[in-house]
Amino acid sequence: MKTVIRNTTIADKLLFLTLITASVAGIFFSREAMPQGPDIVITVDGKPQYTLPRDKDRLVSIPGPFGDTVVEIKDGKVRVKEAHCPNRLCEKQGWISRGAIVCLPNHIVITVGGKAGDLPRGIDAVTG
Amino acid sequence: MQLQDKYRIAVLSAYALSLHAFENLLPTPIPWLRLGLANIITLVALVLYGFRTAMTVTLIRVILGSIFMGTFLGPSFMLSFSGGVASTAAMGLAYLTFGNIFGPIGLSLIGAFFHNVAQLTLAYFLFIQRIEAVLFITPVIILIGTLTGVANGAVSGLLIKKILQKNGENIQNDKAD
Repeated sequence: MKTVIRNTTIADKLLFLTLITASVAGIFFSREAMPQGPDIVITVDGKPQYTLPRDKDRLVSIPGPFGDTVVEIKDGKVRVKEAHCPNRLCEKQGWISRGAIVCLPNHIVITVGGKAGDLPRGIDAVTG
Repeated sequence: MQLQDKYRIAVLSAYALSLHAFENLLPTPIPWLRLGLANIITLVALVLYGFRTAMTVTLIRVILGSIFMGTFLGPSFMLSFSGGVASTAAMGLAYLTFGNIFGPIGLSLIGAFFHNVAQLTLAYFLFIQRIEAVLFITPVIILIGTLTGVANGAVSGLLIKKILQKNGENIQNDKAD
């Protein structure tokens, strides 16, 4: 142990301190800079089609059997702005910032937070 | 290259390979976390026998090691290769440029840092391609690398000292070339 300490030069110590400080600061900084929560994932027919950052406002229109469904992302929230399915339940659900919007007739699932693989697995068939 | 150099490279490569293999057997909490024990041998080779020996030993270790593990030319081989070459080159450059300003621990820290930087860069271009994920993980990896780097550097320092004490006169330094 003594030999080790005697073999350490000032440059070694400075390098060590710099690396430790920089990496610890980097850990905190990267936590801060991260957007709160992962992306918005839009899945069509069971396949993830869009992965969008939630901090960027945009409109996406997705073609489906009942025509285009318009999904709007704004202020970190997401909603279905326009749908042409019979019930329009997805439209009525309004803005969400967590969880999912499921539009069965158009085979669209919109999830906030979590990856595309974490979609609800309960649905194995779509009827109607 | 003299015959003695070949023996030396063979013995050092054998040590490095066994440490490399041993390390692969150790269970780690995170799959990509490695202690970098083989870097001890690289560092000893660099300080005692020069840059060329160190680089040769590293190349032999990475290539043969991956063949033994069955990962030759696979993704983990590419990461291991780039990390090994980058860290040896960085340590060699630092040692040749700054001489004794950095002790073994400092050199080991430089090696660990460049090892990680090279691997992260390659991983970004080849596999991840999501800059925020890479930036997120980078400080954590650098921190772990710094800690293991100090431990490896300390062991290398002791080894170098012991070897020098034991046969100080017999060591031919090929730093000249």
